[in-house]
Amino acid sequence: MAWPGRRGAGDSTSDGRVAGGDGSGGDVHADWDTARAAARARQEEAAHAQREHDASDPRDMTPALGVPGQPGSWQRAEEGADVALHIGEWRDGRWSYLYGDDTAYGVNGDDDFDVEEALRRRGSRDEEPSRVVGPMIHAPVWTWEVPLYFWFGGIAAGSSFVALACDLAGDEKSAAVARKVALGAVIPSPVLLIMDLGRPARFLNMLRIVKVRSPMSLGAWCLISFSQLAAGSVALDLLGRKKAAKVVGGVNAVFGGYLGSYTGVLLASTAVPLWARSRLFLGPIFVCTATATGAAATRLTLIATGNLPDNHPTRHALGTVETVAMGLELTLSEINERRLGDLAHGLEEGRPGRMFKAAKWLVRGGLLLRPIRKRTGRPAHDFASVMYLVAGLLFRFAWVLAGQTNARDDEVVAKMAREPAKEPGA
Amino acid sequence: MTEIAVRRPEKPGSKRMGFFTDTTTCIGCKACEVACKQWNDLPADGYQFKRGGSYDHTGQLDASTWRHVRFVEIETPVHEAVRTPMDTFIGAATDGGGGVSHDVMDLVGMLEQPELDKWVFMSDVCKHCTHAGCLDACPTGALIRTEYETVILQADVCNGCGYCVPSCPFGVVARSPEDGRAAKCTLCYDRLEDGLEPACAKACPTDSITFGPYDELMDIAARRVTTLHDRGVDGAYLYGAGEDEELAGGLGAFFLLTEPPETYGLPHRAESPVQENVVPATFAAMGAGLLAAAGVATAFVLGAKRADQKMSRVRRMRGRSW
Repeated sequence: MAWPGRRGAGDSTSDGRVAGGDGSGGDVHADWDTARAAARARQEEAAHAQREHDASDPRDMTPALGVPGQPGSWQRAEEGADVALHIGEWRDGRWSYLYGDDTAYGVNGDDDFDVEEALRRRGSRDEEPSRVVGPMIHAPVWTWEVPLYFWFGGIAAGSSFVALACDLAGDEKSAAVARKVALGAVIPSPVLLIMDLGRPARFLNMLRIVKVRSPMSLGAWCLISFSQLAAGSVALDLLGRKKAAKVVGGVNAVFGGYLGSYTGVLLASTAVPLWARSRLFLGPIFVCTATATGAAATRLTLIATGNLPDNHPTRHALGTVETVAMGLELTLSEINERRLGDLAHGLEEGRPGRMFKAAKWLVRGGLLLRPIRKRTGRPAHDFASVMYLVAGLLFRFAWVLAGQTNARDDEVVAKMAREPAKEPGA
Repeated sequence: MTEIAVRRPEKPGSKRMGFFTDTTTCIGCKACEVACKQWNDLPADGYQFKRGGSYDHTGQLDASTWRHVRFVEIETPVHEAVRTPMDTFIGAATDGGGGVSHDVMDLVGMLEQPELDKWVFMSDVCKHCTHAGCLDACPTGALIRTEYETVILQADVCNGCGYCVPSCPFGVVARSPEDGRAAKCTLCYDRLEDGLEPACAKACPTDSITFGPYDELMDIAARRVTTLHDRGVDGAYLYGAGEDEELAGGLGAFFLLTEPPETYGLPHRAESPVQENVVPATFAAMGAGLLAAAGVATAFVLGAKRADQKMSRVRRMRGRSW
């Protein structure tokens, strides 16, 4: 009863005696000491009983090696010890009231059982599933940060291609600008990816290992390398080391080749039917979007900074790259959608469907502006570049969101499991 | 900074451990769900029925539900014995001229409603696949294979990237919105280390869930299928036992089922999506990436060359006029 606010004539101590105000303090402490001693004795008694019980316990309670709170060392304290308490023989069925006296259920019997035969009874994969009761798989949990990152990463990759091409064509000034665009586009990328993590503070765990078979691990490493090289090439440009900047920029274009395409591999390596069954198309489609948006961003930057006079060869080349890349992207998307059939569910309806349609119309509009711009000149082409950039963003969002709708469609997921993958060649 | 081995080398005393879940003996008591939640300190799932028309308030395996007793209502269409006289009755009623009264139609509608034939329960769990999709996808190495050949998620490493979630073809692993990390069944790794069987298997009152060394479980399972066939349950089959090539190289936790797999929300065929797709997808993507870089370079070099030619032609023409 140490709380001053609760002290008073009516207070009672733990043993039920009424405490008499200030004078009773010493008595209370003396009581506590005896209580503590008794508790300690009880604890020791219990520990002793536990030790005795442990000794008679048939279970193997040998702990694994290691320090408490640290990861296990994957080794049991006793070398060669059997895994304890696994069922040595099948006997649990006897406890079940379901079978009454028939304890032989699946226990003894004759030996004419066959695992292969038992598996075959699952039926052939060609039959249609009679009834699908979902949910089948979990939809991806990624939010807006991921498609936005795909867009930024694509622009960075595309600009790195442009920088390399400008250098090869001898246009050093444009190459330097393209390298700056690549750096500018790659800076928000890791920020977006970290924002999307469930535990953003642990983002460095991504760089804990290099895991070749995980596209996300390789992608994280690629993104890091690309941003370092992009920063390096821009720094070399600023320092006036033209030749070194060229070499670093050229190497970065190779990393850009993976940065712009691995996102497609990442989506294709999931159980989402729309993504998995587009495995040969997603990478190329994403590369096309990356190239076109990168070229468009570089072109708009060059024009805004006044570095690109009319009739400059780089200007024509950028126009050609945008048109060809976007045209290819449109064609590939169209072929893929037809090829997928029912499995493309999600890419046609709802919000992602509307985005996908809008993106395709923007591309078509941009392509139509090409013949017109011969007459109107620059503004039409600028407008087309903006359209391509918006279309690229919409494509990214549509692909990611459509995957989420697609994964929630249980019929489609069940159907994919029954159908073998059909490739265009096969 | 090296990759974690796909399969750990066999250690003395460690063998593949797994679950054999026999749906024919499951009574849907959810003791396994509760035991799992208690042992692993997982929160409750709330009180709503998650799937319309089903007595299932868990809905699916989730970050906080590592065992899920699936309630499957098997409905049968109206029996032939009821249907035939009913059809003649309706036929007679319409032949006599005039429409069929509403009362009759109501009766017909009621009778034609499919009946709940039987209830099938299945205690679903992480399959601990031989080719585990989540394990292949994980970029941090949080997901690992243990000495019992089970797949566990190290919660202290996971940073919640969410890539394992769509990489599981069985819809098992999920990311918790509250916690931010992914979570799934560990086959009670902590209990195994201390020589205890997993909480769900311990709690199961009918031994629908059996825990043990994989080979022994497979023997039991195959014997059970044979017994069931002898007793007239022709539909009984094993899902994922052994080294089943069609199901992720075999499932560490396999099932005895009596209905087609889709009825339980299970795929007929499954493979680790990464192992299945990553190689062709990477070749296509890298090929396209290199082609794109080369294409852009070609466009620029050709453009520059053409511009040079144009310039020299202009110069030549000017020279001629001079």
